[in-house]
Amino acid sequence: MALRDQLRVIVVDDMSTSRGLITNALDSFGVRNVDVAADGHGALQKIAANPVHLVISDYNMPGMDGLHLLHALRSNAPTRGVGFLLITGRADREIIEHGKKLGMNNFVKKPFEPAGLKAAIEAIVGPL
Amino acid sequence: MSDPMEEIRASYFVECEELLESLQDGLQQMDDGHDDSETINVVFRAVHSIKGGAGAFGLDDLVKFAHRFETAMDEVRAGRFVPDSAAIKLFFQCADILADLVRAARDDAVIPESITNPVLDTLDEMVGTSEEVEEEIEFAPMVLNLDLGGGGASGLPDLPGLPALSGLPDLPGLPDLPGLPDLPGLPELDSALPLPPASPAGQTDNSGNQLNHFRILFSPENSLYSSGNEPLYLLRALRDLGEIKVRCDTSTLPGLGDLNPENGYLSWIIELSTEENQTTVREVFEFVDGLCDLDIATADDTALIAENAVAPQPELTVTAEPDTSAARLPDLVPEIADILPDVTPEPEVAPALDKEPEPMDTSTAEYDAQSAAGAQSSAKATPTQPRATVRVDLERIDRLVNLVGELVINQAMLSQSVAETSLPQNSPVQTGLEEFLQLTRDIQESVMMIRAQPIKSLFQRMSRIVRESSAMLGKDVRLFTDGENTEVDKTVIERLADPLTHMIRNAVDHGLESTADRIATGKEPVGHVTLTANHRSGRIVIDVTDDGAGINREKVRQIAINKELIAADAQLSDTDIDNLLFLPGFSTADKVSNLSGRGVGMDVVKSAILGLGGRISISSVEGKGTTFSISLPLTLAVLDGMVVQVAGETLVVPLNAIIETLTLTEDDLRALGPQTHVVQIRGGFDPLLDLGAELGYRAPKDSYIGDIVLLIGQEDGKRAALVVDAIEDQRQVVIKGLEASYGRVAGIAAATILGDGQIALILDPVDLVSEATGRTRVPPKHLSIAG
Repeated sequence: MALRDQLRVIVVDDMSTSRGLITNALDSFGVRNVDVAADGHGALQKIAANPVHLVISDYNMPGMDGLHLLHALRSNAPTRGVGFLLITGRADREIIEHGKKLGMNNFVKKPFEPAGLKAAIEAIVGPL
Repeated sequence: MSDPMEEIRASYFVECEELLESLQDGLQQMDDGHDDSETINVVFRAVHSIKGGAGAFGLDDLVKFAHRFETAMDEVRAGRFVPDSAAIKLFFQCADILADLVRAARDDAVIPESITNPVLDTLDEMVGTSEEVEEEIEFAPMVLNLDLGGGGASGLPDLPGLPALSGLPDLPGLPDLPGLPDLPGLPELDSALPLPPASPAGQTDNSGNQLNHFRILFSPENSLYSSGNEPLYLLRALRDLGEIKVRCDTSTLPGLGDLNPENGYLSWIIELSTEENQTTVREVFEFVDGLCDLDIATADDTALIAENAVAPQPELTVTAEPDTSAARLPDLVPEIADILPDVTPEPEVAPALDKEPEPMDTSTAEYDAQSAAGAQSSAKATPTQPRATVRVDLERIDRLVNLVGELVINQAMLSQSVAETSLPQNSPVQTGLEEFLQLTRDIQESVMMIRAQPIKSLFQRMSRIVRESSAMLGKDVRLFTDGENTEVDKTVIERLADPLTHMIRNAVDHGLESTADRIATGKEPVGHVTLTANHRSGRIVIDVTDDGAGINREKVRQIAINKELIAADAQLSDTDIDNLLFLPGFSTADKVSNLSGRGVGMDVVKSAILGLGGRISISSVEGKGTTFSISLPLTLAVLDGMVVQVAGETLVVPLNAIIETLTLTEDDLRALGPQTHVVQIRGGFDPLLDLGAELGYRAPKDSYIGDIVLLIGQEDGKRAALVVDAIEDQRQVVIKGLEASYGRVAGIAAATILGDGQIALILDPVDLVSEATGRTRVPPKHLSIAG
């Protein structure tokens, strides 16, 4: 069974358009175990109920931004080891450095092509 | 829409409308003086999100504009640029252009750069931004070793999911990365504690084992709950920091009867003894920053806090029925105690509730007033949180509305046939039917609510109209809105846009004086236009008010005489004169301005409002201003009508057109001309129309004495008396359009199905009266003989 069939992913983005684009891209390369959440808190709840391997999160979200989510994941024992891919419109040094510090696995800059997303995911989990 | 990308694209534009709305809201709040970071963030995020989606769909014009707008907003967000009112005006302009660009992109239209570029240049100049160069950032992805336990096909379900993942990604690799001095952050991932602050600041006085004592007042606002936060987690996080004592303040908890389940009434007083410093304690509340009242004081300040404490509970008695609040409390306190074993609920709360409620003393009243005022202002400052929604094709809703309409009709028919079976009043069939009736009404109301939308989107369009028209006329105008969350049928909102636009332009152009005139009369130079909406007895009332000079009635009267709209010696009341403004072709502006003089007069506005089943009225005080008031039905799917009989036919007359009903006496009737009558009603003469004759059901009657007439009000203030044979009922009827099948029929608005299954036509009284022949007298007999 290929990795793409087993990999469990959650997509976190406050814009349904972006969620749609990401899930659509995931679908295009066969990652189908995909959950979605509209914000960080929702994501944490869903992950607690249903553990995932990889979190694909937007950076700029109301209330809890992507790095706050990462922080929360890393400070909580059961989710500490989850993979984290940040999607960001602005790849500021500040954001990326902060992400590095928190243990971000990789990032993708918007706008992205499905191939770019795939490459970014494969850099974390290996060939899908 | 089978292509998923097409579907996402379509949903992007819907989402953009929401983002544009929150952008407008945010800017409005900034304009109102709320410059808190969350407001600015909302504005920034809206632009950012629009840009993000646009990038994905290759909408380059939109990306280009949004990018520069975003850059400017980022400067504001970072505090490098503090916008003044001129800057905010420019931001509004940018938001308008952004909205245009979004719609242009949606409709595959193009907005020339000659429009966008000057604004962007002004923006760059004002904010002082320049194209930044995207720097390349080195980032080595951290590999995650997924052990997906290659076992069986059902590999994953067996795994508890995460334990299978091999811990943290290459921690040892990290120290090699350049520019990361404060790595202490990462090793601590092993403890369940939250990470120390990302900024290296908080780590200095953390070394000693000395305990710090904090007293924390934590009062969540409603938005904290609505944004999905949970105070319990925060309390738990605090507990992890050290010893805590938590007391829940329930003093603002109302009785069950007054309890709004959407509101939060509890606040907490937490005493914390911890080795951590204040920054760390504050960090617990980082995610709810701005969503609560938070006061963290060290133990030394506590005495002071205790004095100022918002609501020390024993003294302030809860002003609620003792029964309900006491009933509420027991299941509340154990709940918290259960989950937080360390928490010792203060015993004094419950006894306080057992006491008889005392009348509110003044300090309580004062506190309540303050907190209410506080809640209000904070409600304004807090950006609206998006509610969970589902997007549904409008056609599906319309189908549902239609079906429910059928259900209502069917239910009415069933009731009628049961009534005809002469069953006893208390028979199970009768009672069952009554419940059915109630349910049908509830369903109908709920379905109508689906179509209802807050009128806010319309109001936001109006604020743009005010901005543009005031700029064009060189007047300084501020728009105030109230009741934007009032909900109205979507169709009503759509069809209200044009008339309201015209009314707003009119208020800015004709209603408000020029700035110089305002100053001369001692008024505030900035003109005010106020747009309010509220529900009143099953209708929505929208008021457009300006604080201008009021209607110059002498001038209006003179113009009406000059245009031969009224006789020179006509005696007119103030209201009559005001209503002249609604006459076709009336314009009071001495010179036709670029703005209002577009050949659209208030008469068009009025007929549009009437077309929606609405009414419009004016009230004006000289020197103080004018108010145009529109009253509309909440939906276009049902209508309040009067069911009447004419020549054996059943007809429905919309109730809002009927001024009064009366029975004719001989004294009321006056013959006028060879074929028509007028009716004398309250000193005025109104034409008599025989509905049966007008609709061709019968010839005019010989005599109308003793007949019932409905006095109908017309759009130009004229009236007519309609003769009917009998008034049967006054009820809500479901409107069934006829135009799709039969085209437009003069005098007929639509049809409905009555309880007995009979089809009844719904009249369009305005149309009927304007097309009327007015024949109410049989031609003299000799003509017939001669014929």
